[in-house]
Amino acid sequence: MRPSNEVIRMAKRLILLLLLANTAFAAKLAVPRLDYKHRTLPNGLEVYTLQDRTTPTVAIQVWYRVGSKNDPEGRSGFAHLFEHIMFKSTRHMASEMMDRLTEDVGGMNNATTRDDATQYYEVVPSNYLETLLWAEGERLGSLTVDEANFKSERDVVKEEFRFRVLAPPYGRLFYALDKDSFTTHPYKRPGIGSIEDLDASTVTDVQQFHTTFYRPDNAVLVVAGDFEQQQLDGWIDKYLAPIPHPSTPIPRVAVQEPARAAEKRFVEKAPNVPLPAVALTWLTPSASHEDSYALNMASALLGLGDSSRLTQSLVYKQKIAQDANVFADLREDLGVFVVLITLASGHSVEEGEKAARAELQKLIDAPVSAAEMEKARNLVAATVLRQRETNNGRAAAIGEAVVVSHDAEDVNTGLEKALAVTPAEVQRVVKKYMGDGKAVVIEYVAEGGRK
Amino acid sequence: MKNVLAVAVAFSLAVPVLAQEQVTPPPPAAPRQVNIPTPAEKTLANGLRVIVVQKKGLPLVAARLLVKTGSEADPADRGGLADMTGTLLIKGTTTKSSEEIARGVEALGATMESGAGWDASFVSLTSLSTSFSQAMGYLADVVRNPTFKKEELDRQRDQNLDAIRVAMQRPNSLANYVAARVLFGTMPYGHNVGGTPESLPRITRDDLVSFHKRYYRPDNALLVIAGDIEPRAAFDVVQKQLGGWKKSGGALATITLKNAAAAPPSRVVVIDMPDAGQAAVVVARQGIRRVDPSYSVAEVANSVLGGGYSARLNQEIRIKRGLSYGARSGFDVRREIGPFTASAQTKNESAAEVAGIIIDEIGRLGTVSVPESELTPRKAVLIGGFGRALETSAGLVNEIADLALYGVSLSEIKRYVAGVQSVTAADVQKFATSNLGSSPSVIIVGDAKKFLEPLRQRFKDVEVIPLAELDLSSPGLRRKK
Repeated sequence: MRPSNEVIRMAKRLILLLLLANTAFAAKLAVPRLDYKHRTLPNGLEVYTLQDRTTPTVAIQVWYRVGSKNDPEGRSGFAHLFEHIMFKSTRHMASEMMDRLTEDVGGMNNATTRDDATQYYEVVPSNYLETLLWAEGERLGSLTVDEANFKSERDVVKEEFRFRVLAPPYGRLFYALDKDSFTTHPYKRPGIGSIEDLDASTVTDVQQFHTTFYRPDNAVLVVAGDFEQQQLDGWIDKYLAPIPHPSTPIPRVAVQEPARAAEKRFVEKAPNVPLPAVALTWLTPSASHEDSYALNMASALLGLGDSSRLTQSLVYKQKIAQDANVFADLREDLGVFVVLITLASGHSVEEGEKAARAELQKLIDAPVSAAEMEKARNLVAATVLRQRETNNGRAAAIGEAVVVSHDAEDVNTGLEKALAVTPAEVQRVVKKYMGDGKAVVIEYVAEGGRK
Repeated sequence: MKNVLAVAVAFSLAVPVLAQEQVTPPPPAAPRQVNIPTPAEKTLANGLRVIVVQKKGLPLVAARLLVKTGSEADPADRGGLADMTGTLLIKGTTTKSSEEIARGVEALGATMESGAGWDASFVSLTSLSTSFSQAMGYLADVVRNPTFKKEELDRQRDQNLDAIRVAMQRPNSLANYVAARVLFGTMPYGHNVGGTPESLPRITRDDLVSFHKRYYRPDNALLVIAGDIEPRAAFDVVQKQLGGWKKSGGALATITLKNAAAAPPSRVVVIDMPDAGQAAVVVARQGIRRVDPSYSVAEVANSVLGGGYSARLNQEIRIKRGLSYGARSGFDVRREIGPFTASAQTKNESAAEVAGIIIDEIGRLGTVSVPESELTPRKAVLIGGFGRALETSAGLVNEIADLALYGVSLSEIKRYVAGVQSVTAADVQKFATSNLGSSPSVIIVGDAKKFLEPLRQRFKDVEVIPLAELDLSSPGLRRKK
């Protein structure tokens, strides 16, 4: 919700790699596994804790298994709006008290609404750990909201919509990606919503959403950093274990996205678009599917770093693109593989599309060399290592593995699996998912421009 | 929503019955001391200053080489020269092509970026500890032996021109380009680091070669390294890779900036972008130097005003009124006086209101003493943020490099917390009166017809410039007809 947070639709899901093995130079590295402890409370709350006493800070994260895909009908953007409301009052906390308990004591807080989950986090001096466990229990157990607070926060979210979608030159392209890529699954709705849907939401919707989804048996608590295990366990028992869970079942999205029948093309237009862009998307399996590792590696080979194939070919050698982005956006239910090209001046979307397709075809036609594979592995591994330098980064890695990949141990075994990906497997998944002639192609051009 | 009036319609949701209910936050335990690392340093025989901070943990090392001359040295008609020189370092050396450099660095799991900003040009590196020596080999090569091939210049120039075209369609980045011109006129800080559509085509290969020859020398550079590496091992790597970097002959050219001498009068400027999805509002004035004795006071004053989520600007504009996704302010401290800006993006209709709130809040800082109950948490924000910045290797490099670049003693890193703590409410008020007291400039980029009328009610002289007539290279900001 806060100035820096985002609705992560576009975020690249980096492969979770940890242990470096198998490769010549990496053999010198000794990277410790994330040796977390796990327990499930009687009320269903899953708890993961990871001690590290290097610095006197601690990260607390609560992941709820509810995201934008659970937006009520006609209320796109609601899960995200609700996330904002979670910083307002509870029975014993005044509005913005979470900021008093974090920011005001030298800590920070934020939250992110994703397609599949909503993640709340705080980083605080470790002597405030008990305080924050109480506060997280408060907003899990009781949320109160008045009409004025609700409306004011809804206005903030409408400004966020303008900030992300309307003001930036390429905001409407990102807004269109999921809408054009999915036909049936609620992933097709924009997580940031629309002004009309936001205006339609009410305080009653907030009440229902909290009752339905914000319950201990739908949440995962991750604590990483400076704590004493026994003391931490005691506080969790005191502040979080007594919160009851309703006996009603938690509604889940069961909608299946049908396979695409054929290629489809869209033209999206916006004002103030100085360079046209083109996006190609393909449907892929979910984050927990065994092909996810090879898909992530394909994404790295194509788009990660200056030496990646699309950057070298389209931006550097052919000079037809200003920018080339690739992401394997693998989610809980299914994923989408995206190639997004911003054209250089004087070049057309046709050129960009053709060149991007040619690079994908090369990945299908010939296996990548051992050296190139090695480069991609090392680059991805180092990227992931850097994300794990902080307590909050380590907590996020655990939460992601549990909630999106459905396997906490993926945080540790992910690397081995990624390193085991062979050039032939990259060929196979690119051919299987991107070589089926069923791309969605989105042309993004200036309003009043071509077409 | 103009204002939030408390309407007493409260819902209480899913209230659990707890056996022992805790109705107030449990108080904190005694705090643990934060460890601030001690930098080790050494100056090589060629004059290169090297600073190393060891941080045990994950096998990562970050490094940054700074050349202590940046975009402030751009000739008046060659805006973007320092940045272009820095950017092209990694696009080819006497022994390696651009592609070989990119592939070689990335094969090590490393990243390398280069460019320029105010007061310095840079090459930044992140690497694994095990391959740090090899990664430093690339860094040394690009700093010492760049070739600046014409085809690389032409390619990069086209890319930068396109990047500027995109940036000029973004209300907030355009507003900041305009603010620089308004605050600094024809002075060096008035231009855009990345250049303009007019200045970039004028840059030649010879310009790059001579900029590099003049400023990229070991006695005008410093190197900061932080991460999982022993200082002695790091010094050995640097000696091996950069010990042979020769000082070019002659005395070092120095750039003298006289920004403070002539602050232009304040202005209210609207750049009319009729399709803008939101208006960017920037309130700006000249701020302070990095070495200003009031630096800590300025930091605390800004923390109260607009440095963080719960600071006054965000309280008033976002939390109370729902007018923006976020409002903030900050001093951009440099070798000479840099800008102070306070900004927010808002729907076009509320741009004038937001500008008014920002100006009122800046004024209030000088007229009303900040209560202790507010001052204490805002200091905690700075101290906590400082601690988090030191948590990563790259963050450590940032903090240390900033001190070193401006000639601030490295021991300041240990005194930061005490410096912030010693600031009083009276200090803040005095600083705000003397440094933020007179009327600032206001720059708004947006759909002018939606806010011009209320804006003119508040400000007498509003200059309205259609986007198509904007000339960033002229202090008048208007293209000559």
